[in-house]
Amino acid sequence: MFGKLDWSAIPISQPIPLITSIVIILVMLGVLGVVTVKGWWPYLWREWITTVDHKRIGIMYGLLGVVMLVRGFADAIMMRTQQAAAIGEAQGYLPPEHYNQIFSAHGTIMIFFAAMPLVIGFMNFLVPLQLGVRDVAFPTLNSVSFWLTASGALLVNASLFLGEFARTGWLPYPPLSEATYSPGVGVDYYLWAIQISGIGTLMTGINFVTTVLKMRCPGMSYLRMPMFTWTAFASSLIIVAVFPILTATLAMLTLDRYVGWHYFTNTAGGNPMMFMNLIWAWGHPEVYILVLPAFGIFSEIFSTFSGKPLFGYRSMVAATLFICIVAMMTWLHHFFTMGAGAAVNTAFGISTSVIAVGTGVKIYNWIFTMYGGRVRLTVPMLWSLGFVFTFVIGGMTGVLLAVPPADFLVHNSMFLVAHFHNVIVGGVVFALFAGLEFWFPKAFGFRLHEGWGKAAFWCAFFGFWVTFTPLYIVGLMGMTRRLQHVVVSAWAPWLYISVVGIVILILGAIAQVIQLLVSIRDREKLRDLTGDPWDGRSLEWATPSPPPFFNFAVMPNVEGEEPYWGIKLRAVETQQLSPEPAYEPIEMPVNSPVGFYTAFFASVFGFAMIWYIWWLAILALVAAYAGFAWFAWRDVHEFEVPVEEVARVDRARRAAREVFLTQLSSQEVLP
Amino acid sequence: MSDMGLPASVGAIRRVREDPHRLGHRAHGAGEDMEGTGHGTSGPATKRIIVGYGFWIFLLSDIVMFSCFFAAFAVQRGATAGGPSIGQIVDIRRVGFETAALLLSSYTCMLSFAATNRRNLLWTQVFLFVTGLLGLIFVLLELQEFIELAGKGITPQRSGMLTSFFGLVGLHGLHVTLGGVWLATMMAQVQIKGFRREIVHRLICFNLFWHALDIVWIGIFTIVYLIGSGA
Amino acid sequence: MSDIKSDPHRPALHRREDHAPGDEPLEDSGHWIYNANLGLGFSIVLTAAAFFLAGSHIIYGPSIPVALIVLAVAQMGVHLVFFLHITTGPDNTNNVLALAFGVLVVFLIGAGSIWIMDHLNQNMMPMDQMMQMQR
Repeated sequence: MFGKLDWSAIPISQPIPLITSIVIILVMLGVLGVVTVKGWWPYLWREWITTVDHKRIGIMYGLLGVVMLVRGFADAIMMRTQQAAAIGEAQGYLPPEHYNQIFSAHGTIMIFFAAMPLVIGFMNFLVPLQLGVRDVAFPTLNSVSFWLTASGALLVNASLFLGEFARTGWLPYPPLSEATYSPGVGVDYYLWAIQISGIGTLMTGINFVTTVLKMRCPGMSYLRMPMFTWTAFASSLIIVAVFPILTATLAMLTLDRYVGWHYFTNTAGGNPMMFMNLIWAWGHPEVYILVLPAFGIFSEIFSTFSGKPLFGYRSMVAATLFICIVAMMTWLHHFFTMGAGAAVNTAFGISTSVIAVGTGVKIYNWIFTMYGGRVRLTVPMLWSLGFVFTFVIGGMTGVLLAVPPADFLVHNSMFLVAHFHNVIVGGVVFALFAGLEFWFPKAFGFRLHEGWGKAAFWCAFFGFWVTFTPLYIVGLMGMTRRLQHVVVSAWAPWLYISVVGIVILILGAIAQVIQLLVSIRDREKLRDLTGDPWDGRSLEWATPSPPPFFNFAVMPNVEGEEPYWGIKLRAVETQQLSPEPAYEPIEMPVNSPVGFYTAFFASVFGFAMIWYIWWLAILALVAAYAGFAWFAWRDVHEFEVPVEEVARVDRARRAAREVFLTQLSSQEVLP
Repeated sequence: MSDMGLPASVGAIRRVREDPHRLGHRAHGAGEDMEGTGHGTSGPATKRIIVGYGFWIFLLSDIVMFSCFFAAFAVQRGATAGGPSIGQIVDIRRVGFETAALLLSSYTCMLSFAATNRRNLLWTQVFLFVTGLLGLIFVLLELQEFIELAGKGITPQRSGMLTSFFGLVGLHGLHVTLGGVWLATMMAQVQIKGFRREIVHRLICFNLFWHALDIVWIGIFTIVYLIGSGA
Repeated sequence: MSDIKSDPHRPALHRREDHAPGDEPLEDSGHWIYNANLGLGFSIVLTAAAFFLAGSHIIYGPSIPVALIVLAVAQMGVHLVFFLHITTGPDNTNNVLALAFGVLVVFLIGAGSIWIMDHLNQNMMPMDQMMQMQR
């Protein structure tokens, strides 16, 4: 009746997952209780759960990413401390079966449920604003994408309380991940969670490719788009190109596990090495999906806080597209040691080294953007400078790894672990914090406290280097990755230093939380009244903070690069705003519960498949289809915003801008 | 495009400036600001273009997914584990009928859309129905093939080659089946709601889907069956 | 700048509009059916040729797979042009670029996988032979 599910699924004998699950369940119940008591459900349902507004969806992605980042970080703390505590005779506190689940969960959560949602959250919030349009190409599909991602996150977290997670690492290599060697539900949790959220991500990719190519405000040709939009576009192209590979490969593994097929088994003609080939054909472009928008964030920040247009805009665009294409030609460098021979290894080694050229172009352009500008060392700028230093070194270790003979020595050592954390933390995570500090006022209407922001940055910067430099060293000394117990006592001092680094990172995380709390408490003092707190250059800064749900009362007409900068300059020179436009009613898409509904049944379906509860799985599929068909039958797709409402909102914006204009002119700061 | 009365050189200069690599297909339009195209600076495209293009991108992603299954078949084509080889299990005659059915269904799908463009409900439905029928014939023939093979003990659990064969062909058949479900839904929607904008957009998407399935089938019958039969 | 141009439901006013693949809203049905007929005709010819070639001995044996692939690619092209209306006109640039991108990815995965996996088999004994050796 309940398939494989019975009471033994609850981890009574394992204190850490048990206590964590109980705490999480209590917190969730508490939150739901507070929401019910305060009567917030109608508001939440109407304004957030069923929203198709890209800005709200972006914020929800951000929330999901931050919560999962905390969980992934907790896994990291456990890993570092376990290794420091399990040297020589000592055994640490995590048995191998549990430790293996932790490092698998750490990678899975960090990539799929922290980094991806956060990056996609930024893309969601910013791209339509930067393009001067009202929403993405497929707003309801956007909602579906978010809720499917949340569904995947839910399933991964359910594994804490019911059953177990995969023990195979964040990419489940066969034969270990096949049913013979991983008969439990762990790998199945992974497969269904990733498969479901992967569909959501693919939909996002399609949405943004279409938005950027087919929906831009009048006058915005390709070469007038801001850099973040370009990188979001390139990232979306890669998503569309490679997420189907992930879907296909995981489906093949699922078929092997569930119905005994032989894609990757080591008997009857299966080929485990093909899994590595296909999964990395997805896996390498995946990191470029993450890093390209990160580069875009830095482009915006460098130009804004240097007070200059981005240096070499066209070469930036070319570099972005170059990286986009070459990213799909380098994947074998993840398995140089699998034995494809010199010719194949050399070809991919060359392509891997070549892709660094694109990034190099970008780094030089950012540096030249700062040169000759009036650099303001705000918190976003600090993160950006920290990024340049950190990422360049990480990239250099990457080019070292790109040389096959060198890789043979350090493949799957801690050197590798240090390298990829170097580029992911230094590149993606630093970008996410920089972007958070930069665009928070736009999203929420008030700035973040600067002092705590600087504290958080310095803790993160030093914390990162103190944590990971020792890992480079032990890697070169021969330590392999994923060790639950360390035999070589020479590595001990370095592992201890690494734990000190983790403590600094924890302090940084606390500082970040304090910054948020202090800023909320002081939000009236930190209020952004003009919509342009940083002297921005792209169209999102032309809107009030937060923007009205329709973004622009009238779509802007773009005449050059840096569209908003031109508008601002003209206003200052002529000492007046452009004349009040002729307002017209606006059509906006209606909200829809279909995203939430679909994801709900996707979660039920995934859970049922994991536990072999076939009747529930079928029921969930039927219900999902029924919901979708009901949605497809609706007659009302849009509602009209009356012209009085449009005019009222826009006149308030113009009044604030008049005040802003006076401030700008009196300061005489514009070049 | 009609610049009669001007010297030929003026037209030539304009053509070079607008289309220096002579890629433009003159029969289809001018070189001016095209709405909704890349250089288009005239604002967002219409919903019809947006929906159609978005679905085209989705289809390309679906074809990438198929290419993974093709790659698996190519890698595992010889992994017979002592069981039958691909040449021993293909039935060219039946594949011929399947191909004919699917190709004709693509044709009738085109005719149905011609009727849609003229807002002719009867012929839209007739040709959609024929398309669905031909698709059903295709799926039934394929099911028959699978059942016959299974009866002889030739199942995907037998070997890597059979896994990738059933996986690739089965994935395509699954797409055709789901397409059939979609087709039935569309026929119901067209009947009840008529040729509303959203319905026509969905028919555009369905057309794209159905033609793409035939394109994938060309790959399958060539690589798996025809080349395989020679193995 | 007024919002008239931003209305997503404004009908296509003139020929100079971008087209999604498989969609030619202003084409008359005579022209449409003519394209469909041509497409069907060419497809039938190419399919028949492929099936005929597969079992015959008209051309040098080992070149048959190559010939079949050429016929398949040609027929895919026929479908793209006649059924999906992919052309090289400026109203189709986005569609062609997207298609080219898709073809690139398919080529990388297909050819890349075959190249890589074949070399793995060269340097290492294939799995089933290895298992047999261990009996």
